[in-house]
Formats: sequence, C-alpha cells, structure tokens
Amino acid sequence: MRKKTYAVAALLTAAALTLSACGSGDDSGNAVAEVSAETGSDRAATVLDKPFEKPDLVLTDTHGKEYDLREQTAGRPTLIYFGYTNCPDVCPLTMNNIAVAKKQLDRDKRLSQAEKDSLRIVFVTTDPERDTPSALGKWLKGIDPDAVGLTGSFATIQAGARTLGISIEAPKKEKDGKVVSMHGTQVIAFNPKTDGGYVLYGEDATVDDYTEDLPELIRGEKP
Amino acid sequence: MTRRTVSAGALVMAAALALAGCGGSDSGESGPELSVGAAYMPQPVSDSMAAGFLVVTNKGGDGDRLTSVTSDVAGEVTLHTTSGQAMSEADGLDVPAGGRLVLESGGDHLMFEKLKRRPKEGDRVSLELHFTKSGPIDVEMPVKSATYRPAASTKSHH
Repeated sequence: MRKKTYAVAALLTAAALTLSACGSGDDSGNAVAEVSAETGSDRAATVLDKPFEKPDLVLTDTHGKEYDLREQTAGRPTLIYFGYTNCPDVCPLTMNNIAVAKKQLDRDKRLSQAEKDSLRIVFVTTDPERDTPSALGKWLKGIDPDAVGLTGSFATIQAGARTLGISIEAPKKEKDGKVVSMHGTQVIAFNPKTDGGYVLYGEDATVDDYTEDLPELIRGEKP
Repeated sequence: MTRRTVSAGALVMAAALALAGCGGSDSGESGPELSVGAAYMPQPVSDSMAAGFLVVTNKGGDGDRLTSVTSDVAGEVTLHTTSGQAMSEADGLDVPAGGRLVLESGGDHLMFEKLKRRPKEGDRVSLELHFTKSGPIDVEMPVKSATYRPAASTKSHH
C-alpha cells in the first residue's frame, strides 16, 4: 500500500515538475527514481556458521596497563569494535548504541546482576598514535566509563583485526597535515560459553537492535 | 453554457501556466533554488568534535555547490566525504539541478572542530551554509541524542 501511495505521489510530482520546468523535462526522471530508492532493512545481527577465534591481542588499556584480551575476557560475553576517537560520526554512534543498550539492561528482569556485569565492551583503536591511553579514556568516559579501551602498535592491532575479517589501513597524513584514519565496519560479539566470535553487527545496527539482542548475547544464545 | 465556461477556464489556466513557465527560461534565470531540511547534530562524545547532517534540495534547473560552512559553536566546520571506512575532507559538495545533496550518518557529513562548548541534546546550533552561486543559507540545527537516527523514510522523501 505504501509503495502505491509513493508511486502516485511521484507521478504527481513528476507532472508538477514538467509543468513548472518548461523545457527541462529530463529533470523529472530524477524525482521518480529517488522515490523507489529505499530498500527494506534486514535484521542487524548476522550469526556465523563458523565463529572467529578471539584474537590473541595483548595491548595497553586506558590506565596504561597491559591488557591480555583472551585472558581478561575469557568466559565473558564480549563485544569488540575497532575505531578511533577523532571520528565524528560512525565510531561514536556505534559505541553509543552499545552503551545505551547496555544501560537499558538495568531494567531487564530476566538477567541476574552477575550476568549483566559479565558483559565486556572493548574498543580497539585503529589510530594508536593519536589515541593514547588517556585520550581513549577521556573519550570512552563520555560513552561508557566501564568500556575497555585498547591501544598499542598499529601492526599488532591490524593483525588482530584481520583475524576477524576486519581490514584496516594505517592512518595517513594528508598534504594539509590532517590525518585520515579508518574504522572497522563491524562489531563482533563473542560467546561466553565458547569465546568464539559468533555474531556480527554492521554499521546499520541501532540501539534497539543491540537492546533486543544483548540478553541473548550475554547468555551465549543466538539472537 | 456551463461546459463552455469550464473549458474556457481551463484554457486560461493552461495559457497562464505556459506564460509562467516560459518566462523563466526566456530570461535564462532558472538558477539553483535551494532549501535545507532534515538537519541534526548527534550529541557529541566530547568537546573536541561533532558531526552534523542535513539535506540540501535544489528545485532549480541549475546545479550549485556547497563550498563552506560556519557555525557559532565551532572554530572550524569542514565538509567530509566518506568512502568505505575512511573519510576525507572535501573542498565542496555538489547540489545537482533538480536533485539533492544528502549529508547523512555513514556518508558525507559536516565535521565541527575546535568546539567552543559541548552541544547537548535539546540545544540548537546555528550554521551558515555558503554556496558557489546561491546566497548563504542560515540553518538552525537541533542537537539530538548521541544515538539518534532519522526515520528511514526521510531518505526516500524530499
């Protein structure tokens, strides 16, 4: 029904454009094409048939202490995202989506407090030169003070990301001195029962997607 | 009699339309005709940088180009394009004739740096958009929650 309404509206718009444009009839084609451009959204979560092994990353956390990812997050539900703090759009949005969803867990009656506390949110920088432990700490404080922020050598981080199918390149300095960095495109959820990375979330995942799925992820179930 | 009146009316209207329509093209002044909508800024994480999104619609028969943006809240506003996982600064962004320039999360966006204060949800940020041909356009950009997403339908509407 909605589609039909759009089509009629588009037709009217096209007609109106043709009338008012007088001679630039080729423009009206654009208006019609735009209306049908929107595609339906799929479910945010992708459950993997073959889970990723947790990367063997030993990095530095926001307190400047060594952080062994496998050791520290063993047996805990863990979400990992690769990004950088000088990123105005996707990185803070992704981390805020997870942080807000986590906050909403407080009201969830199905989970015990211990289960809620077991969740680990790990942000690994793709721009370690600028993202020092303190820079990461300051940024994460504005999102979720309990989130783990990791930095270290770019080569180590890149190699760890690669094992999760995430490809990142080192930050590049442009001619004007500005640094261009890259962020990962996916958040990976690790199963507390197996420590395998078994669910992927793309950039389109919303607060509601994470809110809905976190209880399952915490219990190592399929969302 | 009635029928005649109606058809005469229609004829008059058609004539009026034809006149109005062709007056513009005669003088060659179709030009870009810009309007701005769907503006918002997600509440930034810190006081160091923020992103902003909006849609510039061009109903005119001539293309234009967004060349710079100034704001009361930031020492510097830059235009960014996103390709894949990396973003880079742009000198300008085109607003095609009869088309739109869409700045949206995950795509092209405005980047606010050297913030004078940290915008909070519920605030409004003032912007001035500058174009190659059209005069500057003032925009009041509301600050939304950090996780705000415009309704999906805005992408398919004008």
